[in-house]
Amino acid sequence: MIQFKNLVKRFGERTVLRGISLDVRQGEILFILGTSGTGKSVLLKNIVGLLRPDEGEIWIDGQEVSKLTEEQYLPIRKKCGMVFQHPALFDSLTIYENVAFGLRRHYQFSEIEISSKVKKALGLVHLQGVENKRPGQISYGMQKRVSLARTVALEPEILLFDEPTTGLDPITTNAVNQLIQDLSHTLKTTSLVVSHDMQCALSIADRIVVLDQGKVVALGTPKEIKNSAVPLVKDFMAEVQL
Amino acid sequence: MTRAIQGFIKVCDEVGNAFLFFTEIIKTLLFRPCRKSLVLEQIWHVTVESFATTAMAGFFVGAIMAVQFTMQMKEFGALGYLGGLATSGTFREVGPLLIAFMLSGKIGAFTSAELGTMRVTEQIDAIRCLGANPMQEIILPRFLGIIISSFFLLFLGLVMSVFGGMFLGYFLAGVNPEEYVRHIPTIITGPSIATGLVKCFTFAVVLATICTQKGFYTVGGAKGVGRAVVSTAVTTMIAIVVMDWLTSFLGEVLLHMVTGS
Repeated sequence: MIQFKNLVKRFGERTVLRGISLDVRQGEILFILGTSGTGKSVLLKNIVGLLRPDEGEIWIDGQEVSKLTEEQYLPIRKKCGMVFQHPALFDSLTIYENVAFGLRRHYQFSEIEISSKVKKALGLVHLQGVENKRPGQISYGMQKRVSLARTVALEPEILLFDEPTTGLDPITTNAVNQLIQDLSHTLKTTSLVVSHDMQCALSIADRIVVLDQGKVVALGTPKEIKNSAVPLVKDFMAEVQL
Repeated sequence: MTRAIQGFIKVCDEVGNAFLFFTEIIKTLLFRPCRKSLVLEQIWHVTVESFATTAMAGFFVGAIMAVQFTMQMKEFGALGYLGGLATSGTFREVGPLLIAFMLSGKIGAFTSAELGTMRVTEQIDAIRCLGANPMQEIILPRFLGIIISSFFLLFLGLVMSVFGGMFLGYFLAGVNPEEYVRHIPTIITGPSIATGLVKCFTFAVVLATICTQKGFYTVGGAKGVGRAVVSTAVTTMIAIVVMDWLTSFLGEVLLHMVTGS
């Protein structure tokens, strides 16, 4: 479904991704773990073309996408929905307009269809009665869920989550994690989740990949990761056991 | 010496980037025009926000000019020409410059902070992911909105400067408002008005380009937004002064070519 072939990304002198090769299987929930600055978010942004690799290839459904133009990338972005670290909602628009934003740009739906899709998407993230509010009038946790609804409304085949639970309290964190699992099963999407949360990864991921200094240091099912001898993975596991 | 060269390269880099950004906006305007409602929203927003401040600034610019000219002209007993001279000086030079400075602080800082915040909170990335073009969706409406509003506001400021001059002329020098206005057409010529309007337009374009560019390319979180705002204020003011000189110089050259004198 998604293939990274020897992906390299540099920012000036600094090389963030150092030859990442990885296959993401259709329908799986793949957690990408690693310490800060190891290139997890950069990897996701390369998939949707917000960043372009300096070397290597990215294949999505049999198409090499790393050299596509901004225009050619539109169908890929329709296929890959991204949920950002920040809610990234547009302050000047209502929640309804925020969720409808992508639907209006990607499709030619009637207002009735848009309205029904917005309600359905907000329902999936358990939000009702907030359509006419502005982002500043709802809590941060709710904003994160609206952000998720905005992405889900486009019914993408691939969902990319960039640290979806950062800045949330434990209860909302659990709710969002549960939501990721439910959405992946309900919508049958492939999900890539960038996170620091090993506990959550062990409970909902189908596979986990651990990055260190721009390289894959461990890849496997939660059970395999639990038994990994890689020092960084052991550090993560130690934190879970604490 | 090395520092001077580095500084010069940095300035060239800044100017080049601003030109590239301006070209990108014009390309978007020609090939992917934005919705009119977005531009109207910006015009409304910018005009309402800055209407009172600009009117007040314009009034006082005119008043300042009247004070300065009163001192000189009293000596020559030519106070009757106060309106003409003060208005001419305001229209040709001081008015557009000072009002543009004021607008750069207000509109420029606001726009770069707004766009910078959108950048660091990933709203601009989200726009791209949701199938829209940020240049078309957020930059072009602001660019056009700022130019149209700033041009209108600068013009409003200049009109208000006449009232400011008239007011001060009456109370300070005892010049009758009717007499103040009577000599304006005798001193202000077509080229004077044209120079003022060209300057207003040029300053508006400079302001719109710099503040949208600085905001759009903000990096580095809250500090980055702060840096973008400061950089917008400084760069805009320098660019306005440079453009003021350039338009004055080109205006003189053009006038010389047309009149042959």
